[in-house]
Amino acid sequence: MNQSNINTQKANKYDAIVIGSGMTGGIAAKELTQKGLKVLMLERGREIKHPEDYDTANKAPWEFEHRGKVPINSAEEYWSNNRFGTLANEEAGAFFTNDKQNPFIEKRPFDWIRAYHTGGKSMHWGRQTYRWGKHDFEANAKEGVGIDWPIRYEDIAPWYSYIEKFVGISGQKEGWDIIPDSDFLPPMAMLPPEIHFKDAVMKKLNRKVTIGRIANLSQAQPIHTALGRASCQYRNKCSRGCPHGGYYSSMAGAIPAAAQTKRLTIRHNAIAESLIYDETKQKATGVRVIDQVDKSVTDYFAKIIFVTAGSMNSAALMLNSKSSRFPNGFGNDSDQLGRNVMDHHLGSGATATVEGFEDDYYFGSRPTGLYIPRFRNWDGNQRKDYLRGFGYQGGASRSSWNRGIGMDGFGAEFKKSLTEPGGWTLGFGGFGEILPDPNNRIYLDPQKKDQWGIPMIVFDAAFSENDLAMRRDIMVAGAEMLEAAGFKNITTYNRETHMGLGIHEMGTARMGHDPKTSVLNKYNQVHACKNVFVTDGACMVSASCVNPSLTYMAITARAADYAVGELKKRNL
Amino acid sequence: MNRRQIVKGMAATVGGMLVLPAWASAWNSGSLQGFQSNFVGLEEALLAEIVEAIIPETDTPGAKKLEVHRFIDKMLADCFDQKSRDIFNKGLKSVETMASKSYGKSYLACTPKQKLEVITTMSKASDADDQGFARLAKNLTIRGYLSSEYVMTKLTGYEMAPGRYYGCVPVKA
Repeated sequence: MNQSNINTQKANKYDAIVIGSGMTGGIAAKELTQKGLKVLMLERGREIKHPEDYDTANKAPWEFEHRGKVPINSAEEYWSNNRFGTLANEEAGAFFTNDKQNPFIEKRPFDWIRAYHTGGKSMHWGRQTYRWGKHDFEANAKEGVGIDWPIRYEDIAPWYSYIEKFVGISGQKEGWDIIPDSDFLPPMAMLPPEIHFKDAVMKKLNRKVTIGRIANLSQAQPIHTALGRASCQYRNKCSRGCPHGGYYSSMAGAIPAAAQTKRLTIRHNAIAESLIYDETKQKATGVRVIDQVDKSVTDYFAKIIFVTAGSMNSAALMLNSKSSRFPNGFGNDSDQLGRNVMDHHLGSGATATVEGFEDDYYFGSRPTGLYIPRFRNWDGNQRKDYLRGFGYQGGASRSSWNRGIGMDGFGAEFKKSLTEPGGWTLGFGGFGEILPDPNNRIYLDPQKKDQWGIPMIVFDAAFSENDLAMRRDIMVAGAEMLEAAGFKNITTYNRETHMGLGIHEMGTARMGHDPKTSVLNKYNQVHACKNVFVTDGACMVSASCVNPSLTYMAITARAADYAVGELKKRNL
Repeated sequence: MNRRQIVKGMAATVGGMLVLPAWASAWNSGSLQGFQSNFVGLEEALLAEIVEAIIPETDTPGAKKLEVHRFIDKMLADCFDQKSRDIFNKGLKSVETMASKSYGKSYLACTPKQKLEVITTMSKASDADDQGFARLAKNLTIRGYLSSEYVMTKLTGYEMAPGRYYGCVPVKA
């Protein structure tokens, strides 16, 4: 790179740089600015202004010309988004990343779903929010899997509470160890067949069911309204972006909170190319950025750097940051950088039809469903064929237009039946824990580069026998519960999906006590360069089976608190 | 993000597979040169009569008046590959052939009862393509009809922002 073309102005100096504006970048920026630091947030994608840029948010169904089906040209441009799902559809497709323009390499198939814009994937997340239990932090050590977590539940619990109050989580207090209660807003209601199901599986199988814990404001509190957020409107159109701020996203929550301090600068279209390392100071001094539009190069400088670019991109950025001290990538003395890719596997489950409840209906669209916490390898319910476990997410619904296709008949009678509610169905799919395996990894292609001259990421990861055995059990155990509830026409499914589709990718720069086997210490500092913190999913040592965003955010707030303390003590 | 949508989509696929032939959902990165109507004159009129046979005018408008046939045209052009479109067009020709064989006249000239009979026969045909055509036509007609502004606002009580949620209300409320 021609050094003379690089902008290295003094004006590019900040107290902290946060790379990424998503779920964890948002929290990092909020915490650091609120604690008095001048922060630059780098976002590689375009700017989306909350709430005015959610251009599909208020469209009626008939205003989408393909009524939600994915057009062929979109399926081609967004091939990874659409390989198994319909993410890049007319409702929210423009907010996902065009895979053709942002290519990656699959040594083994990986469904990499990205959202390169303000707020990142926090705009589209499933919003299901669960605390990890004590067992999740202890399992690796107990079972001899991977390495031990350097922290325990008690280290993170106060930060869970802190984040939960800020984000706003609707849920039911249950007092269960498997998924400890959060600081909840009021729970959403269960549907009548769901209440029947909950009671039946508890009575007959001793399995728990609760209403899905969701980051939607069932009752907005002053901490939320102060940022312009309002209670959930029960539209269940969250993926389009919520003009009311009814669900938590970085753009509705953390970024406005950081902006209120007047210490936040956001630079969009800013792709972090590498971390700048000063060999004499033995510190990172800044970040080299390539503008995604005009491809100009700028160096930004700061005392501390938070790497929160999303697990895969955070690891890739570090792998691409080479120096004489770090010839194999930033902080990669252990060779664990890019390894231990984990996700939650999904795509297997069970459904059934429900007889009765014909006179019951609901009002509004509930943005959550049922949650069935893990019951395998828990509470004496041991499995010989696999380790860890899974939770289910699903719920009941009254069948809609789909049923018409299967129904006999055409004409007037058929027409009449179409606009009447169909029968109830109840179903759910498993979210299974994937174990860390150093052979599940990403690395940078030695030759191929993207249009910005940055090496392309190669994915080399797949499910293990543990995952496949668990997926079979997800079907069997699911059918068992539907049967216990007396439901009919039980169907199980197990789609041949890939790693990545859970969109909970994590593990590529794990925490640990020992610098020989891990990249980060217990405060998310790079072992060999303490002023760089990695606090997104990359830091995870194991995956649990519950949705991870809450844990990422809590870890980030904890690390930010520590970082500011260390700065004040002049340790960084 | 949207895993519930994926999971829902999977459940729909499980069901969908039972009723739609493989080619109808096997669209992928086929060639597409923008939207061009699949139909010329008579074919559009023919499809309008077919959707009307599936969902006829009663005390409320039928699929033809709600222009569901135009929706199908758009869907075929944008969301299905050439093979699906070919099979669909072949199906339209079969409708004509069947009408003239059974009633000695064109489909357009048939009585409503005869029109319904032709579509019903197609849906049970031994020819896989004929049967597939009838099912896809039905699928898209239902999708277009139920998601039309008329049906959603006048018949099924669509609300943009309900603002509240009740888990149990009487079905007729």
